[in-house]
Amino acid sequence: MKKRKLLAMALSCIMAFSVVACGNSGNSQDAAPADAEPAAETTAPAEEPAAEDAATETPAAESTDITLWTYPIGGWGDSAVVDGLIANFNAAHPEINVTVEYLDYTNGDDQVNTAIEGNQAPDVILEGPERLVANWGARGLMVDLGDLWTDDAKAAIYDSVESACQSNDGVFYEYPLCMTAHTMAINRDVFEAADALQYLDEENRTWTTDNFVKAVQAVYDSGQTNVGAVYCSGQGGDQGTRALVNNLYSGTFTNPEHTEYTANSEENIKALELLKGMDGINFDASIAGGDEINLFCNGTLAMAFCWNVSQEKNNLETISFDVLPMAFPTDSGDPELCGGIWGFGIFNNGDDAKIAAAKTFIDFMTNDQAQVTESVKASNYWPVKDLGNIYEEDELMTEYATFIPYMGDYYQVVGGWAEARTAWWNMLQQIGTGADVSTAVEEFVTTANAAAAQ
Amino acid sequence: MTKKNPMSKALVRRETIAGYAFMFPSLIFFLGFVVYPMIQCIYTSFFDSTMNRDDIFIGLANYSELFQDTIFLGALKNTAIIVLVSVPVVCIFSLWASSVIYNLKGPVCSAFRCIFYLPVVTGSVAVTVVWKWMFNNYYGIFNYIGTKTGVLEQNINWLGDERFALGCIILILLTTSVGQPIVLYISALNNVDQSLVEAAEVDGATKFQCFWKIKWAQMMPTTLYILVITTINSFQCFALIQLLTSGGPNHRTDTIMYYIYYCAFKRYRYGYGNAMGVILAIIIAVLSAIQFKLAKSE
Amino acid sequence: MTTKFNRSTVYRIISVTIITLLAIAFAFPLYWIITGSFKTPAAINSPSPQWWPSEWVMDNYRKLFSRQVAPIWEFHIPFTEVGFSGPEVPAAIRWLLNTIFMAVTSMILTCVTSAMAGYALAKKRFIGRTLMFSVIVCAMALPKQVILIPLIREMASLNLYNSIWAVIFPIVGWPFGVFLMKQFSEGIPGEMMEAAKIDGAGEWKTFYTIALPLIKPGIGALAIFTFINSWNDYFMQLIMLSSTKNLTISLGIAKLQAENATDFGLIMAGASLAALPIIIIFLIFQKYFTKGITMGAVKG
Repeated sequence: MKKRKLLAMALSCIMAFSVVACGNSGNSQDAAPADAEPAAETTAPAEEPAAEDAATETPAAESTDITLWTYPIGGWGDSAVVDGLIANFNAAHPEINVTVEYLDYTNGDDQVNTAIEGNQAPDVILEGPERLVANWGARGLMVDLGDLWTDDAKAAIYDSVESACQSNDGVFYEYPLCMTAHTMAINRDVFEAADALQYLDEENRTWTTDNFVKAVQAVYDSGQTNVGAVYCSGQGGDQGTRALVNNLYSGTFTNPEHTEYTANSEENIKALELLKGMDGINFDASIAGGDEINLFCNGTLAMAFCWNVSQEKNNLETISFDVLPMAFPTDSGDPELCGGIWGFGIFNNGDDAKIAAAKTFIDFMTNDQAQVTESVKASNYWPVKDLGNIYEEDELMTEYATFIPYMGDYYQVVGGWAEARTAWWNMLQQIGTGADVSTAVEEFVTTANAAAAQ
Repeated sequence: MTKKNPMSKALVRRETIAGYAFMFPSLIFFLGFVVYPMIQCIYTSFFDSTMNRDDIFIGLANYSELFQDTIFLGALKNTAIIVLVSVPVVCIFSLWASSVIYNLKGPVCSAFRCIFYLPVVTGSVAVTVVWKWMFNNYYGIFNYIGTKTGVLEQNINWLGDERFALGCIILILLTTSVGQPIVLYISALNNVDQSLVEAAEVDGATKFQCFWKIKWAQMMPTTLYILVITTINSFQCFALIQLLTSGGPNHRTDTIMYYIYYCAFKRYRYGYGNAMGVILAIIIAVLSAIQFKLAKSE
Repeated sequence: MTTKFNRSTVYRIISVTIITLLAIAFAFPLYWIITGSFKTPAAINSPSPQWWPSEWVMDNYRKLFSRQVAPIWEFHIPFTEVGFSGPEVPAAIRWLLNTIFMAVTSMILTCVTSAMAGYALAKKRFIGRTLMFSVIVCAMALPKQVILIPLIREMASLNLYNSIWAVIFPIVGWPFGVFLMKQFSEGIPGEMMEAAKIDGAGEWKTFYTIALPLIKPGIGALAIFTFINSWNDYFMQLIMLSSTKNLTISLGIAKLQAENATDFGLIMAGASLAALPIIIIFLIFQKYFTKGITMGAVKG
């Protein structure tokens, strides 16, 4: 009897609660016009209209809403920075309303992919050619940006960047903003204590494969048992592991035409076998690039393979040691660093007004004389065309600028890239858990080439 | 069909209309958001379907590929391990825990009950945040305590080691699933007819006999219910894997549920993922049917 | 006699000790989340764990609330471009409100539809009843991942993708509630319904006046079950929601973790925010929670 009473009470509480909740949403409807004041700006809902509505809508001078999704490319992943950039844009183009969403490298791709299936892909997206060109571009989801690539633009933007931003048949799916060279970094204090600095060229920031092995051994012997980690829990930061493997014995990831994966070459197998056999280098399937950076910054690891200037800038507060950015070790003395090129792409959502607005946005961010420096600086990377030295006073940027000449081939535009990079970290996991290197690499190349052939 | 005689045609019609009228609101959701997508799922499983391209009919090719896909077979195995380990362990552990807790003093008992229920309400995402840190290779608490006390010789990469990763996932799953069964068993134990127990004790039954012959028998409906919800729970284990291991290392923690997601959004193979879904659905339907046959016969 | 007494006492002492240790282990994650959210970065990143924060700081929460903003509520008239929205608040607050709205709405819809359907399945002898019940039983344990792609496409064509309804509807469609309510409704005595019918009550009135009061405890159980389940239904939220303002708290925290792998303090603050409201609800309604859960089992 008592039980039932209590339950009835619980039930009525829940009911009452829900009535209140309902009431609230009901009220909000009624109350809306009354306090529409603060909402005035955002009156137009950010959600995209149904496709049929969109078709009948005229572009005109009415305001257009576009959505921008950015990956964490330096400060472009930070809402405070981006809000400032958007404010600049709105000062020039008040008729275009930009809503920003921030993606991360762990789930970002899944999020974009589900949104594409859900017919809610963003209008503008900021990332690199491996996604914009090789993945979504190749799937016919992106808008051809040929009209942004005027002859002036082509003349100004570096050739290597230009070729990375187009598909194999010459369609431009990306308009670039900034670039960098991905390096690695060492904990100089630890290396000094282990007397390992003798193995590297501190001036040119290079080292040979032999010296790398000696240095790691020296650090390991000095008591730092976790020297470096070949992280492979996911695709985050995988350019680091690729560059490491490719550089050790000058192997390549793809053929020069970017049509076929060549990771199964002798050089790469040798490199993977070397890494696997080294003391102090763990194949760690529980961390990805971001975790590795964290572990390096708090001193757990003595070197980071997933590094560039932005990492140092973002982690200045946590780092309590001297960071020495280095090129990846090579046997030839001629490192080929993986480049990062980031720029904008437009998803084709079937609404010409939005596409036009998106192009205006891109044009403003990348070509407006006053804005472009700020846009690039926000990323903490370098411009893709000659803007003079925009980091005059900045020592850190000057230090890292040393690496730009080492930038290698931008092979990430090869077909089947999304599948290949997934297969890459799976392969590293296999090797880490004891699989035979040549078998695992062979399997990777088979999977990747099958994806490239599609 | 069973009661043919007393039902006149008119009555049947009236009952049918009323029945469906009552079922209607529920049916909208059930047919609309479970059955319809399921049919779609079966349909597309016969196609090579990917993002932004017309589907190509390929018959049973997805299915025949499935049974040669070692990752799929591994995922099937992992799913089976998770279910087969977690369901009995949850049942036995919660039965034991509640038998210890239920005759403690009132407030103590409810405090324990509360604590064991906490991980359920905390939610898997918040829980994984902490577990990820606890299992961490470099500064996790397990390695810290293990190496400090000398149990572990060196740090173990719990989530990154083939031997341990699945075990770790199951452990977390257990902590988030025992809460409800414990609550259920405690109240079932309290509801056991004491006069029967006393009578048995008078007859000279041992404590153990008392437990099995009387209490256990009376708790049978509870146990069946617990089996059903734990099975459902174990099959829903997705967040843990997605947030902790992404199926790694080396696909050792892939479950079918995660592999479907992986195929869809990392490999863009929708048809293939759907074929997997169909297989899983068949397995689960058969399992549920068996469970209910058993429950009926009890 | 004495040895037996001793043995059972020893067993009791040992088992109570073990259960206490386990309880500590169970409570630890929550303890760690909450204390962690008040720790300084140095304390939280130190290689040896700090069991009790030596210095309590609010920085992590400040950081959490100074991230993105979102309007506190929004209303969009369907099929039009017209919409209204409230003042901007930290996105985390909006996530919390979204989650509450989602959980409460799913709870109400599930209870209403399941109570009616369960009653029909138990008490109405209609054609196709057995078939329908079998389908429901088979679908009950079906993980939602199975229908991942078709569901996203369906929501896209209904224009519901990236709205909270895309999460709610599949939860309501999940037939566990119907099953549970059917089990409860079996207990409604047929004579009472007959009597009502003789008194001239229609189908609806019979349900409303006779059946409903009797299955109320069951509805309570289902309400609690659905509330917790939908609060924690990370998967549907993950695939259906994408804008910051539409996220739920679990999803928001998962994103926070992916974006700031380095900032454990911030992540812990987020996790506390996700866990505390529902824990408080749980502690307040603790008695009803446990009663409700129990009701489900005893009848089921």
